[in-house]
Amino acid sequence: MTRQEVLDQTRKIIYDSFPDMKDVDLQEDTVINTETAIDSMGFVLVICKLEALFDVRIPERQWKKLQTLGDVVEAIWKRVQ
Amino acid sequence: MRFDSFDHLLRHFAEQSPDAPALRYEKETLSFAEFYDRVRARAEELRGEGKTCLGLLCDGSLDNVVEIFAANLAGLQLVLLDASLESEVLKTLIRYTDVDALWGDEDLKEELALSLMPGVKDGKGKILFFTSGTTERSKAVVLTDHSLCQSAWNGSAKLPLAPEDTLLCLLPLGHVFGFVCGLLWGLSCGSCVALGRGQRHYFDDCAFYRPTAVSVVPLLLGFLVKMRCINPEMKLVLVGAGDCPPALLAAAGAMGLRVSFGYGLTETSSGVAISVKGDPYAMEVCPDDTITIAEDGEILIEAPTCMMQGYYKRPDATRAVLQDGVFHTGDLGMFDEDGLLHITGRKKDMLVLPDGTKIFLPEYESAVMQALGHTELAVTLRDEKPVLVFSGEGDAKAIAGKLRDMMRTLPRGQQITDILMTDEPLPRTATGKIKRWELQQKVSEKA
Repeated sequence: MTRQEVLDQTRKIIYDSFPDMKDVDLQEDTVINTETAIDSMGFVLVICKLEALFDVRIPERQWKKLQTLGDVVEAIWKRVQ
Repeated sequence: MRFDSFDHLLRHFAEQSPDAPALRYEKETLSFAEFYDRVRARAEELRGEGKTCLGLLCDGSLDNVVEIFAANLAGLQLVLLDASLESEVLKTLIRYTDVDALWGDEDLKEELALSLMPGVKDGKGKILFFTSGTTERSKAVVLTDHSLCQSAWNGSAKLPLAPEDTLLCLLPLGHVFGFVCGLLWGLSCGSCVALGRGQRHYFDDCAFYRPTAVSVVPLLLGFLVKMRCINPEMKLVLVGAGDCPPALLAAAGAMGLRVSFGYGLTETSSGVAISVKGDPYAMEVCPDDTITIAEDGEILIEAPTCMMQGYYKRPDATRAVLQDGVFHTGDLGMFDEDGLLHITGRKKDMLVLPDGTKIFLPEYESAVMQALGHTELAVTLRDEKPVLVFSGEGDAKAIAGKLRDMMRTLPRGQQITDILMTDEPLPRTATGKIKRWELQQKVSEKA
C-alpha cells in the first residue's frame, strides 16, 4: 500500500458518497468543510468508510483537526504503516 | 413520577423495578439495582478522595454516566465539559469553574492537570453546563440535580415513555438537551437508556440497540433519515436545540415516525415547550412553566422548578436576563389561536446551527475582523451554514487563506463555508448595529 493509493481510495470514497461532487477537483490542499459539499455528518461518513476500508481507527478527538484532504490521507497513511 | 434528586430517582427504581434494564452500553447492560449499587460504591470512593468540584471530560460511556450520578451523590459540584474542545479552551473553563479533579481520558487529564484549582465550598448539588457553541468566554449555567429532575418530569408529562421503551442517547451529555432528553427523560420513566457509542456508530447504533425513541438535533435527524439508519422499532423522535426544516420533518414522518419538536434553553434545564400533536412546530407549554410574549415579541419564561440558579460567578450577566424569576430568552415567538407556541425568530445577535450549536456573533465576528484586519463584515447563514459577508474591496482567495488558520481551531459546523464579496455597505441601524434579519434576507435571495 502506498500513500498515493490511500489518496486515490479517499477520493473514490468521497466521489461515491457524494455524487454531486463529481466535477470537484479534489487536491490534497482542498479544505473539506469549505471547498466541498461535505458537511460535518458527511465527514463522519467519509472517515468511517475509510476506517473500515483500511482497518484503522482515528480517535474522534482528532477528527476536527483533519481539515484538508491531505490531512485525512496523512492520518490514514500513518496508521496503515 | 416527579423526583427530587438523582438519589431519589435511582433509589425509587432500584426498589420498584430492580431487575429492569437501566443502561446499555455496547454489550453491557446494568439493571436499575446494579446501576444504583455501582453509583453508591463510586460515591463512597469519591467522598474518601476529599475533592469538591469534578470536571467531567464527557465521552458518553457507561462509566461516564455512573461518575456523574456518583459525584452528585457524593456532594461534589459537577462541571460537564465537552472533551472535543481545544485544550486551551478546556483549561480556561476549568480555571473559571474551580475544578479540583478531573474524570476522563488519561492523556487529556494529564494535559489539563496544571489548570486545576483549589475547589469550592458550597458546590453540593450543583451541576454546571456550558451553553452550546462553547468558547473560552462562555458562561457556565448553574443547574442542580433537582432542577434537572423537574425538567425531565416536565417533559415526560407531555411526552411519556413506558418502561418497555428504549431511549437511544446519541447527543453529548455535556449539553443540557443531551443530558435531559437523551438520558434523564428515559431514566425518570423507568425506561432503558442505550448509550450511543460515539460518532462513528451513528450509522449502526439504531440497528445495534433497536431503540423505540431517540432525541436528536436537526442535523443528526437529517443524517439518520438520509442514510436510512433508523430501525423499524423506532416510534418517537424528539428534535430540539435548533431549527428543523419542514422537508426533514416530513421525511421523518413519512417513515412512520412520530416527530415532536422541543423548545428550551440551558438556563431552563432544557425543554419548556413540546409539540405533541400533528403540527411539530406548534408547541404546548410544559406544566411547570409559564410563557408570555413581550411587546416586542420576545419569549419570556417563568420556570420556578427548572430555572438556573444563575451564571457561575457572573451575577451581572444573570441580572441581565433573569429578573424577578422571568427569563428573557432573546428568542421571538407567538401563540396561535389554540394557545400553542411558535418560534418566529431571534432577537439576540446569535446564529443557531442545525447541530444545536449557537454562534454568538459579536465575539465570533470580532475574531474574524482581527484575522482579516477588516471591520466591514458580518456572518450569517446560507443553507444552514455560516457564511461571511465581506463588504469592500478585497481578494476572496487571499481572504480565504487568512481565514483558514482561524477556522482550524473551530468545530467543523461552526466554520465559515463561503465568502460573499459585496460592494454594498452592510445594512445597519441608525446606531450602527447590523440589521441581521435584512442581511439574512439579502443573502437568501442571492442564493
